[in-house]
Amino acid sequence: MQINLLYQPSQALAQCWLQPGESVLAESGAMVGMTPNVQMQTQSGGMLKGLKRMFGGESFFRNTFLAEGGGGEVLFAPALCGDMAVLDCGARQWNIQNSAYVASTMGVDVHTKAGGMRGFFSGAGLFMLESAGQGQIVIGAYGALEAIQVNGDLVIDTGHIAAWESTLTYSVGKSGSGWIASWLSGEGLVCHFQGQGIVYLQSRNTAEYGGAIGPMLPPRKN
Amino acid sequence: MKQEIVNNPDFAALRVVFDAPGEQVIAESGAMLARDTAIEMKTSLQSGIGAAMKRKLLGGESLFQNTFTATAPGQSLWLAPAAEGSIQCIELQPGMELFLQSGAYLASTPGVELDTKWQGAKGFFAKGLFLLKAKGAGLLWFSSYGAMHAVDIGASYAGYIVDNTHMVAFTQGLSYDVQKVGGLKSLFFSGEGLVCNFRGQGRLWMQTRNPSSLVSFLHPFRRVQSKS
Repeated sequence: MQINLLYQPSQALAQCWLQPGESVLAESGAMVGMTPNVQMQTQSGGMLKGLKRMFGGESFFRNTFLAEGGGGEVLFAPALCGDMAVLDCGARQWNIQNSAYVASTMGVDVHTKAGGMRGFFSGAGLFMLESAGQGQIVIGAYGALEAIQVNGDLVIDTGHIAAWESTLTYSVGKSGSGWIASWLSGEGLVCHFQGQGIVYLQSRNTAEYGGAIGPMLPPRKN
Repeated sequence: MKQEIVNNPDFAALRVVFDAPGEQVIAESGAMLARDTAIEMKTSLQSGIGAAMKRKLLGGESLFQNTFTATAPGQSLWLAPAAEGSIQCIELQPGMELFLQSGAYLASTPGVELDTKWQGAKGFFAKGLFLLKAKGAGLLWFSSYGAMHAVDIGASYAGYIVDNTHMVAFTQGLSYDVQKVGGLKSLFFSGEGLVCNFRGQGRLWMQTRNPSSLVSFLHPFRRVQSKS
């Protein structure tokens, strides 16, 4: 599959060209358009897998797009305004913040990783995604994406992490010296990354955006 | 008149510079950013109350439009849509028609006529019962939420399927069917809903984001109404 990213950084669109008979897996709702010879199928991959994904903040279902009788094209975009990036899997493997996942080639196994308590506090939800195998993953961010090479140590606000290389180890902790200072700073929880590898930062934080706009909207019934 | 679109695809704005007095631009109400003080602005119900009501109720456009008339050469007018995104300009020739998704209309010159078009029952399922039909001769500007991506059907593509929330505009040589993608399970669970399957000869514009996804994202952040 060949991927061409357009309209970066704010309104990014992934244009994916499929070989005849090739398919691509995508987050439900990510499809913008496609050539008519592309067939879409919805799969939950089994109840348990689907439920696990739902806890991961993704939707229960993923869609497969298959090019039949010739090459095909599919366009994907994330829900919010922001940039996209293509992560190569093979020599490198990735951890992906659940809501950043957009699409992946069939050779990559993108599965939900039980992050346990650590995942919960990282703001990445109870689960996050990790990759295995060979291929490509398309991620989408809220805001711009910045690839940062970590050499040693880096502290990142949990809401601003899009993806990181699995060579990095991390621990979640408070930002300031004490809990009160940490809370007052508005930074809340941060991830301490250690080792060598790449981290993709997103320049805006969905939780803060929702928190800023949500209270201004009329209340909902349920 | 000269025109320039700046800041596509993120926060597009249209700047029109008039060459002669009497030149006019008609714009969606609320679209003006700035204008030369001497430009005359007149608010009206374009093409009468009946047509305006139809556009408002069925095409998602506002009831009123503003007509800006130049009084001297070199005067300029700035226009922009409400949400972030792109603006596209198209020059309509007699015999040419352009169909716009409701809400995509931004502005036009007086030779352009706007009408709503009944889409039939398939339009009902495609959300937004009516499309706006633009014809005549002149310039037409329309806008999208997100960037605008164009495909030429009949040239580089034999046909194209677009998610109906991402459809912005298409030229008259194209016809489409509203269909669901995949099986019944897909319709309810895939998150893709309905799509328009285009074929024929012409250009199709789609938007890279859609407002309903933003609304679904924001919904859980709303406060819950107390039960009392």
